[in-house]
Amino acid sequence: MIVLVTILLVVAGCSSNQDSTTATDNKAVPKSITMSWPRDIGTMNPHTYNPSQLFAQSMMYEPLVSYQSNGKLTPALAKSWDISKDGKVYTFHLRPNVKFSDGTPFNADIVKKNFDAVLKHKDTHSWLGIVGVIDQTEVVDDHTFRLTLTEPYYPVLQDLSVVRPFRFLGAAGFPDNGDTAEGIKEPVGTGPWLLSEYKQDEYAVFKQNPNYWGTLPDVQQVTIKIIPDAETRVAAFEKGDLDLIYGEGVISLDAFNQLRENQEYTTQLSEPVGTRSLLLNSSNPKLADIRVRTALNQGFNKKDMVEGITSGLEEPADSILSKNYPYTNIDLKPVTYNVASSQALLDEAGWKLPAGGTVREKNGEPLEFELIYDKTDPIQKAMAETIQAEWGALGAKVNLSGLELTVQIKRLKANDFDLYFWYNYGAPYDPHSFINVVASPGFGISETLSAVPNKKELDQQIRATLSSTDETKRQELYRSILTTLQEQSAIVPISYIKKTAVYHKNIAQFVFPANRDENPFSGITLNAQ
Amino acid sequence: MIGYIGRRIVAIVPIVFIATLITFALIHISPIDPAEAYLTAAHIYPTDELLQQKRHEFGLDRPLLVQYVHTLGNIATLDFGKSYLTNQPVWNEVVSKLPATAELAFWSMLFSALVSIPLGVLAAVYKNSWIDMLSRIIAYLGASIPQFWLGYLLIFFFAVKLDWLPVEGRGDWRNLVLPTMTLSMVLIAVYTRLLRASMLDQLQETYVQYARMRGLREQVIMLKHVLKMAIMPLISGMGINLGKLLTGTIIVEQVFSWPGFGRYFVEAIFNRDIPVIQCYIFFAACLFILCNLLVDLVQLYMDPRISLKGRAKR
Repeated sequence: MIVLVTILLVVAGCSSNQDSTTATDNKAVPKSITMSWPRDIGTMNPHTYNPSQLFAQSMMYEPLVSYQSNGKLTPALAKSWDISKDGKVYTFHLRPNVKFSDGTPFNADIVKKNFDAVLKHKDTHSWLGIVGVIDQTEVVDDHTFRLTLTEPYYPVLQDLSVVRPFRFLGAAGFPDNGDTAEGIKEPVGTGPWLLSEYKQDEYAVFKQNPNYWGTLPDVQQVTIKIIPDAETRVAAFEKGDLDLIYGEGVISLDAFNQLRENQEYTTQLSEPVGTRSLLLNSSNPKLADIRVRTALNQGFNKKDMVEGITSGLEEPADSILSKNYPYTNIDLKPVTYNVASSQALLDEAGWKLPAGGTVREKNGEPLEFELIYDKTDPIQKAMAETIQAEWGALGAKVNLSGLELTVQIKRLKANDFDLYFWYNYGAPYDPHSFINVVASPGFGISETLSAVPNKKELDQQIRATLSSTDETKRQELYRSILTTLQEQSAIVPISYIKKTAVYHKNIAQFVFPANRDENPFSGITLNAQ
Repeated sequence: MIGYIGRRIVAIVPIVFIATLITFALIHISPIDPAEAYLTAAHIYPTDELLQQKRHEFGLDRPLLVQYVHTLGNIATLDFGKSYLTNQPVWNEVVSKLPATAELAFWSMLFSALVSIPLGVLAAVYKNSWIDMLSRIIAYLGASIPQFWLGYLLIFFFAVKLDWLPVEGRGDWRNLVLPTMTLSMVLIAVYTRLLRASMLDQLQETYVQYARMRGLREQVIMLKHVLKMAIMPLISGMGINLGKLLTGTIIVEQVFSWPGFGRYFVEAIFNRDIPVIQCYIFFAACLFILCNLLVDLVQLYMDPRISLKGRAKR
């Protein structure tokens, strides 16, 4: 066997010279980068979900309005828009001279055709607030499109900036019956990229769209290699097969730290893209008391836990939403770590340590909770164990249950939990999607807050915020809602999650996209080769 | 002979029936709802309305018996419907994944046979020599090293450090080397020891002494007579492993980004993609039966003493 393997490898070794020549030749192709992704890019249908990957859809299809840092909305395929005083009519003035990748013009007719194709399946897209309030879509003229709502809903523009479903497929891509939910003929978009080569589950090559209306990215070609295994991804990167590793949780913490220490590579962390929180379900009688919730909130060393477990990849969170969303840049009083105060609050709430006991009791009932975590997520598991130990020292017993994600969500929906790791949606969905789930039953969050004393008032404020047309009033309402949630300690912020990027020195500059789901290729500048 | 083959092929029907029944029951016992799994994979929160709509779309709101009869009908017509996840016909997707898996299976079987047959023979002939020790070490390593770890080690040395071979993906023959070696290691370990033991058993037989008395050369005795008989258990083992390899080598496909059947199936399990799971079970059952049949036919050809009648009754 050894002889055989040696012969094989010597032959391979000899031919590797040729291979490296080829590799050098490939690298000589100007302005191209290779990135990996865990799953196939999918069918590239802009109006459907599985199995299409958001970043790939965003390369080819564009929105009317673009979401930029700190929630700024900038023109994309719409050069401007007017909003009626009652907040129910949105008139979009479309950018002239925009063409699809096949050379056909982008106009109000194709915008309506796309909107109508999406709205044909309202149920499928009902998770997006705008879908429930669209009353009418109209072509005013060749370059003007009007959207009429049944009621005012302020986050219309934010909802239109998300990657799917409101992006635009060229006429040639539509199936004969016009129902894109059944599939598309070919991916035709207005975006800076077009799919030039594709092999399912292996790779996809994107080249620049020669008909693109805007400034083309510095990168001229992007190759996506489908590598499902995180360790293999790191090996491919170290070998030089990949220029960039990008995303959330795409490599292990150990691998990230190892690459970070290597001077040959650059590692970069984004602004917070979401918050990892712990829900303390107030519908559980033991957690209905704000003193118990506050005691638990301040009864664990968040800073040490987050830094220790995530090695700096996540940042300890002081508020449920980070300050880089619209309306959330407000100063909320953080809950600080204070064991003595926690113990005093639990005593005050009537939860006392029995003589010789380790678990507090009240009326013979132990202070005991179940914490549900995703068993496939090592960070959640480590955090759950830390919290168990720290709260255990306070006299609160925590039982850990590692579950599959779908089972977790099922229990969240059924309000069948005590403690639950929860994540907000990130930009451009928040803060409006977050407050929406606070007020809407069925998502687990409203249920978590059910015993909060001013819940009805909170719900009213949320409804007023979503339909508000006055910017100042909306900011005030957000301040009030987020302050209440901070004080109630039913949603305990733990850490801000960040995207990671690791790249070779051929990349001179890397800018994370503000929209969590967008591709990063427009923000990449390559070194001259 | 044709009758025997026919009977064995007909035996596929009850086995597939039982396999699909068990699969159907397991899927429906699982607490995870396929509609919920679909929405979770799409990053959509599964509201009650959406779940209801998806269940209806997938036909999961019908009575269980109706669903099962529908499944049987699909299998009978070889129409497994569309994947929940991709909305593409399952059969087309399965057929597109097969060449990659078959390629890896073929080369792994060939490589393991090419290494283990000479090694097994030499280990038996030169019992307790250095070559026997070597075969023993390979057997220990092959049996004890987890496949994913071996895969990472090979990638680290031969792809990253020495830069001789690609890390992952499917392409030319160089892409085949590392996954083939990873898969073959455990096969070589088993086959070598199996062949060695079988050879040593055969060497005790009287026909070997008789051949020696006839003055036949030792090389002829070993290769023409002993090996022919001793290889039978190896053929059985290879038949079983061929079925396993053809139904997807999940870990190796994952580690080496090999776009095969195994990866496709694992993703289907995570997403509770029932049409894909059903198609896979049908396919796997058929493959195992056909591989076993192939082994029996090869053994029959090599050793005519094996009774066709007896085997058919078995």
